[in-house]
Amino acid sequence: MASQPRSIASAPPLTPNGRRQLRRGTGARAGETLAAYLFLAPYILVLGIFTVFVAVYGVGLSLFKVDIGFTTPEFVGFAYYQKLFAQLAYASDSDFWISMWNITRYTFFVVIGETAFALLLAILLHNIKHLKGFFRTVFYLPAVTSSVAVSLIFLWLYTPQGGINYLLSLVGIPGPHWLEDPNFALPALMILNIWSTSATFMIYFLAALQDIPTELLEAAEVDGADRFRVFWNVTLPLLRPAVFLVVALGTIGAFQMFDQAKFMSQGGNGGPLKSTLTPLLEIYGKAFTDNQFGYASAMSVILFIVIFIFTLVQRRLIDVKN
Amino acid sequence: MAQVSAQTQASAQAATSAEARRPRRFFRPVNILIYVLLAFFTFTSLGPFIYSLVSSFKPETEVLAFPPTLFPVHGTFDNYAELLKGGAFTRYLFNSLIFAVAVAVLNVLFSAMAGYALSRMEFPGRNLVFVVTLAVMMIPTPVTIIPKFLVMNSLHLINTYWALIIPSMVQPFSVFLMVQFMKGLPKELEESARLDGASRWRTFYQIILPLVKPALTAVTILSFQGAWNDFLWSLLVLNSNDMYTLPVGLFQFKSAHYTQYSLLIAGSMFNAIPVLVLFFIFQRYFIEGAVGSAVKG
Repeated sequence: MASQPRSIASAPPLTPNGRRQLRRGTGARAGETLAAYLFLAPYILVLGIFTVFVAVYGVGLSLFKVDIGFTTPEFVGFAYYQKLFAQLAYASDSDFWISMWNITRYTFFVVIGETAFALLLAILLHNIKHLKGFFRTVFYLPAVTSSVAVSLIFLWLYTPQGGINYLLSLVGIPGPHWLEDPNFALPALMILNIWSTSATFMIYFLAALQDIPTELLEAAEVDGADRFRVFWNVTLPLLRPAVFLVVALGTIGAFQMFDQAKFMSQGGNGGPLKSTLTPLLEIYGKAFTDNQFGYASAMSVILFIVIFIFTLVQRRLIDVKN
Repeated sequence: MAQVSAQTQASAQAATSAEARRPRRFFRPVNILIYVLLAFFTFTSLGPFIYSLVSSFKPETEVLAFPPTLFPVHGTFDNYAELLKGGAFTRYLFNSLIFAVAVAVLNVLFSAMAGYALSRMEFPGRNLVFVVTLAVMMIPTPVTIIPKFLVMNSLHLINTYWALIIPSMVQPFSVFLMVQFMKGLPKELEESARLDGASRWRTFYQIILPLVKPALTAVTILSFQGAWNDFLWSLLVLNSNDMYTLPVGLFQFKSAHYTQYSLLIAGSMFNAIPVLVLFFIFQRYFIEGAVGSAVKG
């Protein structure tokens, strides 16, 4: 229907596809398709090479022994996977599995922390009338600041005589040697990341809270439910999709932690005693220090599968309809 | 009788609920507690930035003093002077600016073009491209860093601006945001333009783009921020001091001066402040961008 006036309209053939439309009559659709793909060309090129192809290439790489500039790639099949899974038997000696164990603990606490904190901030903001915009802006600051700047700032705040231990000393708590103590280095990174990521998720929760129809809450109040019960029985179930989204994005993000560990771990390689070794640090080291790109790719693939499984399990647990 | 009492009861209930809505929901002690908590979180969010900003004007001894001083006792610009000495930092800033501006400009143009095709044109393969766009947003990007690096290496683009710019010059999330904004515009807009003989490109450029200015601003700012803050990818593909962006330069600097906290804090300010200034000017768009991404769930 729309193509008829269009082919008349393009009588002065301004564009190649206009000309094509005239020549072929019903070629309007072909012209439209060509035009669409011209609009899409840069996107399809970049998406095709740097996302889709690269993902497939990465899986393929994990089956080869690849070092840059020394030997030609050599097919090794699943050797790297076998090697990595064989290391599970003595996981506490395997850097890769140490890093996976670290990141799992890290993700567990960071996701719970950031989701709870984001929800708390959103509920607080949702219930005030004054200064709402001001508080939202202030809370959002850590989320827009680069992880590099934040890491440098906290590197200093976490020193044994630094700002954080000073505040702890004011309330009578002797602060630990955060980044130098294997028991506290990973928790220090957890606290930092909860602090820096919660605000983004707060925005998601605020949007979800605003979408809840007020009639529903009023109906519950008319039925005599108190604030807490309204929240627990009406608001929270309606926030489920938002909770799933936050937990899923939080998990994907937390599993990829790199910048903070690179900047803040002792030696920049997961110290002290590998307590802050993350899979990305390990993958980075294997590829760019040890020149074992195939081996590192096998690690990437395992990491990807683990993240994927976690996301699926969360979807099942949080039980989002539709 | 029963009817009347039911009615009065109903109206009484309506009255109490109407009355309850304000005074009870904003019940005093709860209200005070809320503001106390908000004030506390303001301190925790803002504190580290303000404290490091003022501390970047302190000499090293004061930065490490215990108990710490809040305001500089002997204020100094030495840290900044030391950083800018020799010109390496100016170079890092320049490289970061090129990277971030190029990515912002290209990404806003290309993602608007892609979003236009996906939201307002009919063609075979449209759904496939859109579904792939949604799917790849869930791929953790760092998982693909190694093959991406090898592709760049075989293209001989390592240690060039291209290695930084090309993979980020059109981003699936930006395309998605554009589709969300453009699909709501009325169809008649374009049809009348097409009747007047305007080409697809002119319709896109003169009719559609001006109508989605908020989305364009959001994408520009978010992609500038993403490039300005990027560390991992830049660390992989850059390997000489004259090509380092600010985050990579700061990392090298940190490795060399890991105990000179006064310099590290001053350095972090170079990285943090430009984005914070952008955020204060355009905060609505930062937040709209974040909400836009919430829709995809």
